[in-house]
Parts: sequence; C-alpha cells; structure tokens
Amino acid sequence: MTEKDMMSDIKDANLSYLMLAQQMIRSDKATAIFRLGVSKEIADVLESLTTAQLLKLSSTNMMLARFRFDDCAILNMLTSYTKDRHLASAHAAILMAGQAPEAMA
Amino acid sequence: MEKKSVVNEAQQIQLAIQLITLGARLQLLESQTTLSRERLIKLYKELKGVSPPKGMLPFSTDWFLTWQPNIHSSMFLNIYNFMREHTDVNGITAVIKAYRLYLDETGTEDPEAAVLSLTRAWTLVRFVESKMLKLQACSCCGGHFVVNVYDLNQHFACSLCHVPSRAGKTKKTREMAAA
Repeated sequence: MTEKDMMSDIKDANLSYLMLAQQMIRSDKATAIFRLGVSKEIADVLESLTTAQLLKLSSTNMMLARFRFDDCAILNMLTSYTKDRHLASAHAAILMAGQAPEAMA
Repeated sequence: MEKKSVVNEAQQIQLAIQLITLGARLQLLESQTTLSRERLIKLYKELKGVSPPKGMLPFSTDWFLTWQPNIHSSMFLNIYNFMREHTDVNGITAVIKAYRLYLDETGTEDPEAAVLSLTRAWTLVRFVESKMLKLQACSCCGGHFVVNVYDLNQHFACSLCHVPSRAGKTKKTREMAAA
C-alpha cells in the first residue's frame, strides 16, 4: 500500500464516519451521543453540517475519529480477557459508559 | 385541575405503548403516565393479549447485588447516568432510551429474555434516587458498579475483576453446553 492509497483510505473512512454520525444524530440524538461518545455540542454541530461541509471536512489527511480508550490499562484488560466473550463486552460497555465524552472529544 | 387535551392524551398513550412493549408492569405505567388504571389495563390486554400480572413488584435491593444481575444493572445504570449527564433527556424517557441501549449491548432483542427487565431497571433508578444503592468505582478496573450504600466499600473490587469461583456455573448453563 502506497502512501497515496493510505491517504485516500483515510479520507474514505472520514467521510463514512461523518455520514454515519450525522445519520445517527438525526434519527435519535441522545442515543447517538452515547454510541458515538461525543459531547452534546459536537453532536449539535455535526447535525447541522451540510453535505458540502462534510466533504470538505473529510478531505484531510488526518483521521477525524479518535481512539476511544485513552487508558491503556483498560485496553490491555479488555483485549487479553481470558474468560467469556460476553463478559468482556459487558465489562467494556460498563467502562465506556462510565467515561465522560469530553475525555474523548 | 388540568385541562383535558387530546394531544397530551395521545402522547401519554404512545408512551404507555412503548413501556408495555418493553415489558413494563402495571405499577410502572400507573406512576409514569396520567392514564387511568382501566385504560391502562385495556391497553395492556390489547398489546399483549393477556391480563397484566397481579401482585407487588419485587422490592429487595439484594437482587441487584448478586453476580449476574449486578453486572447487568451496573451496565444499565452507567448508561442511564451517561444519558442524564451528557444529553437533554431525563425522567422516564431517559430510562426508556437507556434500557433500549442496554438491550442492544447485551444482544437480547426480546425484552422478556433480558436479565434486567424494564420494571427492575426503573426500580433500580428509584433505589438509587432514594439512596439505597449507589455506584462505586472498582479499585482494579475503575468501572462503576452498583453497591449497597451502607456496605464497606473502601477497597471495592467489582464482580468482573474478581469473578466468584462458582459464578455462572448453573445447571442450566451446563445443560446448554452439553446440548
């Protein structure tokens, strides 16, 4: 994969992320805020963006969505879970719901 | 006395329908909607095809502290608190939305099959509001879990960091594994 391919892939990912996020926010804002992990202010902005603005925003060489786990201890624990897969996802849900969106925004 | 409004009534019926399809008991409906008991019973019968279950709601806080229910109720309460703090919804709408998200998280589509029923989730919220239960951070993973307010929780470790040795090993799961 060349550098150029990677850049265009990032742009694609950005665009599909933004479009999905906008769709989620428009259909049910409160649920979308939880699922996306963004703050209410950011959700308001994303909701009001036009398609042209979305395109402009997504055509950058940097990823717009950021990783949700800032705490590497949590990430380690979740990926190296030795027990049930259901338990791991339940644990992840509890930990993620406990995080404030500002911490990730 | 409040003036009778058709729009308001329609909204209340819509809310009641949502609650009933999610598996609410009659007591919950009576306290969260302004509809009369007779109308609620009629609505319940129409939607579910059976009479609403009679009897009191479960009222013990201990249920929320046993292993599997504790995980599920902690998950629900974390989602609910997130909703209350970071979005505009509150009251019964927050409970409904948080409960829907909880169902999605656990992957159960049928509310009847979920470990935590909507009525129990609502009871949990009331217990927390009346300071009988609270959330305590686990000293190991930092996640917040439901605990009794008067328990000693200084070095609390959650039921997922320290899984009890016989947790989840019931006769039912053994039979399911064998089948």
